Amino acid sequence: MKTGIEKHLLHIENLSYEYERLELVLKNISIDVYQGETVGLIGNNGVGKSTLLKLLVGLLLDYEGTLEVVNHPMVKENVNHIREHIGYVFQDSDNQLFMTTVEEDVAFGPRNYGLSNEEVEKRVTKALELTYIEKLRDKHVYKLSGGEKKLASIATILSMEPDIILMDEPSVALDPKNRRNLINLLNDLEQTKIIASHDLDFVYDTCDRVLLLYEGEIVADGSAKDILQNKELLEDNGLELPLRFQG
Amino acid sequence: MSNIDNSLKEIGKLNDLQQRNQWLNNIHPLVKLLLTVIYILLVVSVDKYNLGQMLVLAIYPFMVFNIGDLRLKEAIYRMRLILPLVMMVGMFNPIFDSSIEAGIISMVTLMLKGIYTVMVAYALIATTSIEAICYALRQIYIPQILVVVILLIYRYIFIMGQEADRIMTAYKLRAPAQKGINYKAWGSLIGQWLIRSMDRAESVYESMQLRGFRGEYAYASKAKIRLADILYLIIWIGVFAVLRFTDIVDVIGGLFI
Ligand SMILES: Nc1ncnc2c1ncn2[C@@H]1O[C@H](COP(=O)(O)OP(=O)(O)OP(=O)(O)O)[C@@H](O)[C@H]1O
Ligand SMILES: [Mg+2]
Repeated sequence: MKTGIEKHLLHIENLSYEYERLELVLKNISIDVYQGETVGLIGNNGVGKSTLLKLLVGLLLDYEGTLEVVNHPMVKENVNHIREHIGYVFQDSDNQLFMTTVEEDVAFGPRNYGLSNEEVEKRVTKALELTYIEKLRDKHVYKLSGGEKKLASIATILSMEPDIILMDEPSVALDPKNRRNLINLLNDLEQTKIIASHDLDFVYDTCDRVLLLYEGEIVADGSAKDILQNKELLEDNGLELPLRFQG
Repeated sequence: MSNIDNSLKEIGKLNDLQQRNQWLNNIHPLVKLLLTVIYILLVVSVDKYNLGQMLVLAIYPFMVFNIGDLRLKEAIYRMRLILPLVMMVGMFNPIFDSSIEAGIISMVTLMLKGIYTVMVAYALIATTSIEAICYALRQIYIPQILVVVILLIYRYIFIMGQEADRIMTAYKLRAPAQKGINYKAWGSLIGQWLIRSMDRAESVYESMQLRGFRGEYAYASKAKIRLADILYLIIWIGVFAVLRFTDIVDVIGGLFI
C-alpha cells in the first residue's frame, strides 16, 4: 500500500563489507528503498543476505560506502535513533526470544520505549492477534515449537511498530497454514518490508520488488514478476524457479 | 537423555511452578521479596545459643511451603548441591565451642539458619519469575546495573545449558554404542560448547539492544498491590516481631505451669 509522498527510507551506495579482512562478502551494492515497498532479497546460501540485513540495523558498522537509514548515516551515534525505526526478525528465533513467557517477550520492546502499561498491553494483544498466537500468550518461550517460536519472534517486532521490518527467512519452520497466515499478515502490513529468503514462492506471494544477490553483488533489481519468472537469470545465479512455475 | 537435559528439565519444572495460578504465586513480588529478606535477616540475627527461638522460627518456611503448595522433598532434591555446604557450616562447633554441649547447640542453630534461608529462597524462586524478582529488586532500590547483571547471568546459564544439551545429544546420536564420551572428543566438544554459548549469548544481547534495551530494566509487574498483599505483609511482620522480640518459648511454657 502506497500512501501520499513516499519517504526515502533506505539509501545504499557502493556499500562493501568484509568479515575480518577476508574476502569481500558484499561488493559495491547500491539500493534505494521507499516507504511502503516490500522487497525480497534472494540468493543462494552464503551470498550475504543476512550480512546485508545486519548492516541495516547497525549490528555491523565497519563498512565501506554510503549507508543511510531514515535519512541518517549509519554511524555509532545514530544507531539508537535508527533502531527505533527498524525492526529485525532474526534467522534463528532462539536468539530472538529471551524472556520467560511469550507475553513478556512481546512486551519487552514497547516497555523499553517507556510506554504506559495500558499501551504496552494493547500492543502486545494486537501483535499476538496478528500472528495468530493469542493462545500462546502465557506459554513459556522454551516450550514453543520451531514454528511457534518464529511467529512469536515476529510478534516481538510487530509490537514495536517500526517503519521498516527486516525478516531473515521468515517462512522457515512454518507449516502450510501458518505460512499462508504469515503471507496474509505481511500483505496486510503497511510497513516497508525487506524479506531475505530462498523460499521463492513465499517471496513471490509477498514482495513487489526483488533484489537478486550473487557472490556479494546485486545482479538483478526489478519487479517480482519479472525476476521470479526468469528461469535463465535464476539458474545462472544458483537458484531455481519458484515451484509454481516449474513443470 | 543426558544429565544436562535433566538439569534443564528441572529449571523447566521451576518455571512450571512459577506459572501456577496459585495463591502465593499471585502475591505481589515485592511483598514476597521483602518478607524473604526480612526473614533471612531475622534468622541470621538470632543468637547462636538460642535454639528455642530457632525452632519457633521454622513456622515461616513451613507455612510458606504449605500455602504455596510446595513439596519439601522436591525442594530438598533441587537444593541437593547447596544443602551439604550449609550443613558443614557449624560442623566443628562441638570441638571448638566452650563446651561440647554448647557446641552442639550452636551447631544445630547454625545449620537451621542455613536450612531456613535455603528454604525461603527456594519458596521465592518457585513462586516468582526471574523477571518479577528483578522488578521487586528494583523497587527496593537495588542498583540498575546489579539487577541487569543478575538477569543476564540467569539467561546465559540457561543458554549454556541448552547448548551443552544440543552438543551432547548430537554426539550421542552419532556414537550410540558408546558409554559416555570418548576422552579424545572432550577437548573439541568443550571448545564448541564455549564458542556456541558465547555466540548465542551475543546474539541474544543484540536482540535485546535492537529492541530498545539500553541497560535499563524496564519490566513492569502487571500485578498491582492489593489489600491482600498488604495484609499478608503486615501479618507476617507482626508474627516475626512476636517471635523475635518476646521470648515466645517462655511465654508458651508459662501457660502450662
Ligand atoms: N561472523 C562471521 N565471520 C566471518 N564470516 C562470516 C560471518 N558471518 C557470515 N560469514 C560469511 O559471510 C558470507 C555471507 O554470510 P550470510 O550469513 O550473510 O549469508 P546468507 O546469504 O544469509 O546465507 P543463508 O542463506 O545460508 O542464510 C558467508 O560466506 C559466511 O561464511
Ligand atoms: Mg542468512
